[in-house]
Order: sequence, then structure tokens, then C-alpha cells
Amino acid sequence: MEELLHLKGIVKKFPGVVANDNVDFTLRKGEIHALLGENGAGKTTLMNIVYGLYKPDAGEIYVEGKRVEIRSPRDAIKLGIGMVHQNFKLIPSHTVMENIILGLKDVGFVINRKKVGEEIRKLSEQYGWRIDPYVYVWQLSAGEKQQVELLKILYRKAKILILDEPTSVLTPQECRNLFHALRKMAEEGIGIIFITHKLEEALSISDRITVMRKGKIVATKNAWETSIEELTNYMIGRPVLFKLDKNKTDSSEDFILIRNLKAYGDTGALALKNVNLTIRKNEILGIIGVTGNGQQELAEVLAGLRKAIDGQVLIDGMNILNYSPLKLIELGVAYIPPEPIKYGIAPNLTIRDNLFLKAYRYKPYSSRIFINLREVEKKAEEIIRRFNVVCPNTSIKARSLSGGNIQRLILARELSELINGWKPRFIIAAYPTKGLDISAAEFVNRTLIDYSKTGSSILYITEDIEEAMMVCDRIAVMYDGRIMGVFKPGEVSIEKIGLMMAGAETLTTS
Amino acid sequence: MVIKLSSRFFKQYTVKIEKRLEYSRKFAILTTITSILIAFGVAGIALSILGVDVVVAYTQVLTVFTKLPLLIEAIKYAIPIGLAALGLNIAFRMNFWNIGAEGQIYMGMFASTGIVLLHVYYGLIPEYLVLITMIVASFIAGGAWCTLPAILKAKMKVNEILTTLMMNYVAIYFIDFLIYGPWRDPKGYGFPLSVPFPSYAKLTILFGDSVYLGSILLLTMAMVVFLILKYSKLGFELRVIGESLETARYAGINFVKAITLGGFISGGIAGLGGLAIVSGIIGRLRPRASAGYGYTAIIVTLLSALNPWLIIPTSIFFGGLFVAGNMLQATLNIPGATIDMLQALIFLFLLFGELIKRYKLRIVVRGVSVEH
Amino acid sequence: MSIEWIEQVLQLTVQMGTVYLIASLGEIYAERSGVLNLGLEGIMIMGAAISFIFTVAYNHLIAILVAAVVGILMSLILAVMTVHLRLNQVIVGLALTLLGIGLSGVITSPGIREKILLTLNPNLPEKMLTIQQAEKLLEIPIPLLSQIPILGRALFNHNVLVYFSLITAFSMWFILFKTRAGLVIRSVGENPSMADTLGVNVFLVRYITVIISGLFASLAGAYFFIGFHPFWREGVTAGRGFIAIALVILATWNPLRAILGAYLFGGIETLQYRLQLLGLGAQSPYFLAMLPYIITIIALILISTESLRKKIGAPASLGIPYSREE
Repeated sequence: MEELLHLKGIVKKFPGVVANDNVDFTLRKGEIHALLGENGAGKTTLMNIVYGLYKPDAGEIYVEGKRVEIRSPRDAIKLGIGMVHQNFKLIPSHTVMENIILGLKDVGFVINRKKVGEEIRKLSEQYGWRIDPYVYVWQLSAGEKQQVELLKILYRKAKILILDEPTSVLTPQECRNLFHALRKMAEEGIGIIFITHKLEEALSISDRITVMRKGKIVATKNAWETSIEELTNYMIGRPVLFKLDKNKTDSSEDFILIRNLKAYGDTGALALKNVNLTIRKNEILGIIGVTGNGQQELAEVLAGLRKAIDGQVLIDGMNILNYSPLKLIELGVAYIPPEPIKYGIAPNLTIRDNLFLKAYRYKPYSSRIFINLREVEKKAEEIIRRFNVVCPNTSIKARSLSGGNIQRLILARELSELINGWKPRFIIAAYPTKGLDISAAEFVNRTLIDYSKTGSSILYITEDIEEAMMVCDRIAVMYDGRIMGVFKPGEVSIEKIGLMMAGAETLTTS
Repeated sequence: MVIKLSSRFFKQYTVKIEKRLEYSRKFAILTTITSILIAFGVAGIALSILGVDVVVAYTQVLTVFTKLPLLIEAIKYAIPIGLAALGLNIAFRMNFWNIGAEGQIYMGMFASTGIVLLHVYYGLIPEYLVLITMIVASFIAGGAWCTLPAILKAKMKVNEILTTLMMNYVAIYFIDFLIYGPWRDPKGYGFPLSVPFPSYAKLTILFGDSVYLGSILLLTMAMVVFLILKYSKLGFELRVIGESLETARYAGINFVKAITLGGFISGGIAGLGGLAIVSGIIGRLRPRASAGYGYTAIIVTLLSALNPWLIIPTSIFFGGLFVAGNMLQATLNIPGATIDMLQALIFLFLLFGELIKRYKLRIVVRGVSVEH
Repeated sequence: MSIEWIEQVLQLTVQMGTVYLIASLGEIYAERSGVLNLGLEGIMIMGAAISFIFTVAYNHLIAILVAAVVGILMSLILAVMTVHLRLNQVIVGLALTLLGIGLSGVITSPGIREKILLTLNPNLPEKMLTIQQAEKLLEIPIPLLSQIPILGRALFNHNVLVYFSLITAFSMWFILFKTRAGLVIRSVGENPSMADTLGVNVFLVRYITVIISGLFASLAGAYFFIGFHPFWREGVTAGRGFIAIALVILATWNPLRAILGAYLFGGIETLQYRLQLLGLGAQSPYFLAMLPYIITIIALILISTESLRKKIGAPASLGIPYSREE
């Protein structure tokens, strides 16, 4: 079979990390090739090199047998390479057409709206999509946005298509649609690289699978010749601990009641349509679902960062709806936010300042006006040691910590008893292990389980169903701002969970 | 960023620009001083092309810092500049781009003069309380002028760069209105001037020269700013807000309150700069009494790397430039605008210096790298 | 208030407003691509100073051309420092303003100006060396149209730069919203990383728009001096560059709305002087002078709501430098 793309000995270093270490990779005409690996294995970096966004420190790239240098996306596009990024690169305030033709030369200097619009409509119908080229992108659903991304590439008649974690925002049904379309594109001779960290997905869609770990290629296999177990081994290097020892007694005492909760999202649409949940004492309640179905908004409402328009949140019988973040902190609500670097820490402040982001205002760390630096320092040293944050001292900037250490720092701040007598009674953990390596993730999960044993109720939001099964006592599925059902791990089949995540089925009992 | 030198001779070299994670204080100071020297060099070349006698001009600048009476004059100018810069220091810490120190200075002048007029025309305030009341009033007026954009930013995310800038002009025209209208001295032969301030309303009241009381004011405010930023709860909150508003919200910080208070203090200290002008330098109010000190203060604050103690020598340096400018214009027939140009060039090269602090060049020769 | 008076006020309104219109057109392009050029005032005053010197030494055409070149050069400083070196746009803009004010003051100061003029044109008569004013651009009435009562004089009796500004405003609107180039500029200001992935050279686009803003700012300064008020004094533009920046916001980054805003500001300024001449309210000029700034602050407050921002298309990446590898 004809080789479309061949990478030889690609090396890319970032300060302190080797993201790609002597990587070889090939893509054939008409194949779907999955690039599998954990978060941070170097998949996206490699593809950004192919797309000209990063420059490799060493190595060669061949497209259709010819040695090429790809200095910018412009070069990549000329070579027939297109890429759909994980976060959509679309301009919401522009129309679909404007998004698709940006950067193209042959649409006329004065844009020929009629002709181009017709072409886009036809192209979209070819894959069974119904995309109106004249609507604004902010009016589209996530699935439709992805179709626009693909149209962008198809309209440019690309031969090589790279998709970076394309299913993370899709429902299982939308995924199936996408897979059909991709199959059709492959039949037309396009080579497709499919970046994913989900094993089943790689197995079900692709012809070949290449596994990356820590910047290196570990194996390339034909999809029909391999298995989940083998791929797991390649990906992680050791079998996963599928069981965390929870060893605790079920509690039946309801502690947190969420009733008819409604709130708007950032776009102004209703993100929480009617959420009802009960979290018991000593319980970890998982929330799973496709990202963007209201999980984030739920966490923010509970932490006081987003106003709810209706409903009740009762902690131990007390309605705390729309309390200020400060009041909630004082009532024992701890929040571990998603994307720690963006929201969880102030990266340019010291580790000490970050630890005391919430506790600085209480005695003995401060008086009415001034902060008592000595007390702060003493306590910081102690806490840092207890939570195993690896750092030379507490006066260095938090940004210099690794991802795992940053999450440990956040746990230390949110959960430890910085203030006398304060205990986290309700912990909201939003995607607490996302982007962490296995051992750091294990530390986070173990810590949360320990706290649940000593009286904290925990809301655990994740997009990883297996992780939820491992960590949580009960799991709720969220879809379109509603809870589709609550069950205990093992009670419900994976297929059924998939349908619930797609909004096709609900569960009434729990 | 990677720059490839593509000529045949240089083929094996690649110049890389990398982020510098940490740098020593010595390195920072050295870079700043070098930037200033380069600015003087470039300005010198440009001016001599234009036909200005650079040697004479630069000698004049140097004289200001070597002769005591001139140095004292420089410090007098440094007081309003330094006060405004101290105010900006607080605003910049919370990532509030206050371009409005100029307007806040004018509001400070407005309030000081207003108190004097209340006393002179209506006999409202006892003599011994006039100066104290002026200090308080100018702080409040400058503070209020900055509080409005601060509230707008905190509550509605209105861009503070533009609001503070616009409010400068509103303040300037407001003073124009007063001094060409109701506040004009009836015995002033129609000149746009207020009544001269009585001696107890001037900073000369203690020690005979305004420089002493002014310096005390400046040092006290430097101490206040230092304490706020380093040791107070408010300072901590402002630092977090400066990093990220999201994080501040998440930490339960009442950021509307903190930004409003920070804005008030920032504008208030700048307002004291207005007092230092009318009550220290001029002794009455006249239109356009601030020669852009509020803008110079922006340079001073950035040049001092947001360190309140460094602001004092830096503002004396710029005060000296103003004095030198005035003298060049008056005696040597060299345009005073020379000094504006010099200031601008120092500013620009300082920005380049900032870059050198943040990034380092690395020349890679066939895989071997040489650091610079 | 006679018809004559109204005609005169309207004509002056358009002439005054043209200063703001020209400068804001360039700024609209820079901001649409994501760069705030706060150096407008400095470039504008340099344009005025250059047009002064070169009109005295040669003629209007050369003056305008040289002013254009100087505007481009000054904006290149801003482009290099903010687009490539990613320095703070506000600070660099202010530095540029300071530089323009200083440099214009130096080159127009009596002694130095004399030397410059003699170098440029050794045959210049002596009295031209110290003159503080320059010849004004001629007004070219458009036949027939300029005869229409009231509006004729306001709209069709101006110098060439006024007509140029109107034609340019319409073409710049067309380019921005109807053509490929405009789409590229708007996209770069909305989401540079996305434009980059589609092969748009973000740096090049921002360089070009910044240069356009510098060119227009300088032309605005030249127009202000030789086309409107040809009497030199130091700091002659008196903050009008900042009013132009304010106008961009009021016009919500739209060249056609900029025409209306420019004439509104031009009208306010004209009234400051005219009302005073009529003896109407001695205090009014100061409050009228404040008005453009106050209007802008109110406009800023009105467009601060997120949904409205989206609708009117405030560039989402305004003021944020772009880099690929971070």
C-alpha cells in the first residue's frame, strides 16, 4: 500500500521534558491509524510537528515519498495535511462559511458567497450531514462544530487527516456518526490519524494502532491482531490496578440534597435544567457523562462560583444555594477545580501563598489588617511535608511544580486543617486526575477515599467511566443538564451507561 | 522562537530564544542601567544629527545631580512623580492598568485648592487645620477619581486602560473650567490663576523649604505602600487578583471590594501628588499645572520593577530630567522637548531590557549550545 | 443664528471630524486584527510636524508623502515590539506617544527647524525659516452639488483629503466585511491561533494592520495641520489621537459608523469655539471639550456586557500577543 506520511527519528524537547524521543511513524493511503497513549505521552506534540505548529529538534518527514520541511500550518495545508484539534479552532461570531474559507485563495477576492455556500452544502451532504453555511458557529452543537472542522479540511481536499481526541465532546451516537463518515473518507483514499487515549475506541475504528509512551513509540499493531490487554500493557507499562481497596461501610444517612437545581451556562443557555441528587455521609458520588453536559456548571454552582436561578442545595438541612464562595468555604465546602493551572493555583505566586489562598484571612495567620508571615511559613512547611509536595522550599513560584505536585498542593490547601477546627464536610472534585500520570492519580484517589472514610461527602466528576467504577460508591450519569440515573458500580451494564450518557435511556431506581 | 541564519557562512548556527526562568537581582539592575545608557546613546546620536549640541545638553543633565541646589529642585519635582508612581504601584500589582495618574493628580489639585478657597473666601477651616485637611481632601479626591474606573472594571469588566485615560482629559478640562471661571483670582488682573496659597497652606510651612515636608510625605507613602503590599491582607488579595480574577473568586476573595479599595488607595496617593504640585511647587492653582507627571510616573513605576523603595531614586532621576529640560530651554536654547524624547527612549529601551531579563539567546552550533 | 452660521458650523464639523475619521480608520484595522495602537497621538503629532516642515520647504504633496513614510516607520516600532517581541501594547503605545511628542517638539523648535529647512531647501527665503504657519490645502468645491443650500457647503466644499477620507471609509468597510482580506483580518483579531492553523500568517497580518494604523494616524496629523489648522505650536494635536482611539470604540470597530462618530466629535469641538464667539455661556467650551471623553466612557460601559460584545463584534483577542509555542 502507498505510504502517505513517513516520520523518521523525530525528536522534540521542551524545557525539562523530551516530548518526542526518536519517533518513527507511517501512515498509508486509505487507512485509519490510531495513535494511542496516555495523556502526556507525546501524541499531540508529534502531530503538531506534522502540522507545522512545532518545529522538531531533529528528524525527517516524508510526504508521499518526498522529503519535506513543514515550517508552518501553511506548508502542511499545501502538502494536503489537515488537523482537527481537541479544542475546536472555530470563531463563534463568524458564520460557518467564513470559518471554512478562512485562508483560502480561490474564493474570489470579494467572497462569492452563493457559489461557495452551495459547494459547502453539497460537501456536507456527501457525508450525511446537514450544515447550513450561513449560520453562526455559536448556534451549533458540539457535534456540528466538529463537522464544520472536518468540512474545513475536506474543502481543502486534504489527503492526510489528523484528529486529536475527536470523541471527547461527543455522545456515543454522535461518535458512531463520526466513525461512519471517517470510514467513508478512508474509502475515498484519505489517510486518517486518530489520536486517542481510549483503548476500545482505537480497536473499533482503526486499521492499525501505534502506541506511544513517554515520548517513544512502543509498538505498531494491526487492529485485528491485538487485544485490550496487550494494548494496556504497551500503554501503561504495567497492568492497571483495577481495584482500589475501599474497605468501608455503606452509610445511609443523607447529607447533601440537591433539588430542582437550574442555572445558566456561559453561553446564556440553560446548562443545568433540573438536577436532583442526594449525597450521603461518607459517600463518594461519581458524576459521569460526556464533557459539556452541565458537570462543570454543577460544580461551580455548588462552590458558589455560579449563580443558580432556581432550586435548593441543602447541607445537613441548611439551604446554601447561592451563598458566596467565602461563606461556603467557612461551612466546610472544598472545591478541587478542573484545569488546576488555570483556576486552581496562581502560578506566579509562591507555593506558600497558594497554600494560604483561602486560609490567609483567619487567625493565627493574620490579624485585622496584617498577615503573620512567621505563622504562615511554619504551617506551610508542615503541610507540604504531609502531602508530599516535592519542592526545595515554599517560596518558589507554584508554576515551577510538576502537574502531580500542583494537584497535591491543591489537595493540601483544600483538605488539610489549615484552620483549627475546620474540616472539609463536602468536597467537590472536578476531573481531579485529568492529565496526571498513574501514580499521581492514584495518590489523589486514595486521598479522596481516605477523607470519605473520616466523614466527608464527595462529589467526584470524571469523564473516565472505569475510574468512576473504581473510586465511587454510587455513580450518577449526567446528560443535557439532567441526571439520567444513579446506580452502584457493577449494577448496570456498560452499554446501558452509554445509552444514558447519550440521553437515550433513564434509570429511575437507585 | 528560532531565528535561522541562512547565509552559507553561518549555516551551522541556529539562534534560539528561550525563556529565562530565574534571574539574579544583580543581573536585573545591570540590565536596567544598561538600557538607560543605551537610551542616552541613541538619543545623543539622534539629537546631534538634528543639530543639538549633545555635550552641552548632557552636561546640563549631569550638573543637576551634582549641584546641591539643583538636586533639591530635582527632588521637588520628584515628589509628585514619586507619589503618583507609588499609587500606580498598587494598581499595577492588581493588574489594574491605571493610566489615569495624571487625572488623579489634577483632582488632588482640585481638592487642595478647594480647601484653600473655602478657608480664604469663607473662613471655614481654622488655619492650623488647613494643610491637614488639604492632604486628606486631595487623597479622597484622587482616590474617588480612580474608584470609578475600578468599580466599573470589577463589576462590569469595563476596560480600565481606556476609562482612566479618558478621565484624565475630563479632569484637565474640569480644572480649566474652574480656573478660567469661578476660581479665578478676582485680583489677578484676569490671569487664569487662583489666589496665592497662604503660607500655612503650603509645604514650606515646616523647615522653610517645601522639599522637606514633601520628602516626608513621599517616604511615608513609600512605607505605607510597602507595608500594604508585603504584609497586609489587602496586599495579599491584590496579588492574587493581579494573577487571576478567576482564582481570586475561587479563593473567596471579595474582589469587587478589594479592587475598589485598591483603586481608591492608588488614586489617593496620586492625588497627594497634585497637592505636592500646587502646595509645594507652584503655591497656587493654574491650568495645566502638571507637565505629564502622571505619565512619567508610569515609566518610573515600571522602571522600579514595582518596588516602592526603588521608586524614590527613580523619580528623583526623572525629576532631575525635568529640571534639566527647563534649564536647557531657558538658558541654552535647546528645546525642552529633548527631555521628553529622552524619557521616551529610556522607556523603549527599558522595555527591550525587560525582554533580555525574560529571555535568553542560545546559539546552537551543530548541536553544541553556547549560552548568552 | 443665520443660515450662513449653520452652514459654516456644518462645514467646520466635517472638517474637524475628518481628523478623527482618518486616524480612527487605521486604528479600526489594527484593533480588528487584535493590536491596540495606543501610540496614535504620537504618530499624529509627528505627521503634523512633518507636514509643517515639508510644506514650508517644498509643497503639500511631498509633505503628505513624507508624513506617510514617517507614520509607517513609527508604527513599525510598535509592530516589532508588540507583535514580534510580544511586549505590552499599552506600554509600548504610551512610549511611542511620548516619543512622538518629544521628537516633534525637537524638530519644530526654532533653531533646529531652521537648520532642517535649510538642509532640505537651501534656496528658501529667510522669512520662511522662522514662519510659524504653512499654506493651507485648497478647498475644491464639487460643481453643482456644492450649491445645494445648507448641505452643499457642509458636504461638497472641502479639500482633497476630506473626500479621500470618505471614499476610504467606504472602501475600508467593504474590504473588512466583504472580502477575503477582511475575513483574514477579523479572524486574526478573534482567534489568532485558529487563523494560524489555517495557514494565515498572523504576524504578517498584524504588521500590515499596524502599519495601516500608523500611516493613517500620520495622515490625520498632516490633514489636521495643512488641511485644517495650519498654525504651529508645540503639542498642537492636543490629545486628538486619544479621541480617535475613543472613537473606534464608539464606532464599535466599524468604518461606516466611524463616519458618524467622527462628525459627532467634530461637531462638539466646533461648537466649543462657535458658541464662545456667540457669547453663549462662557463656561460651555470646557464641558463640551469633556463630552467626547464622557461619551466614550459611557460607550465602554454599554458594550461591556458579554452578549452585546459578541453581537457588535468587539475583537476577542484585542491586546493579547500571539505566540505559537506556548
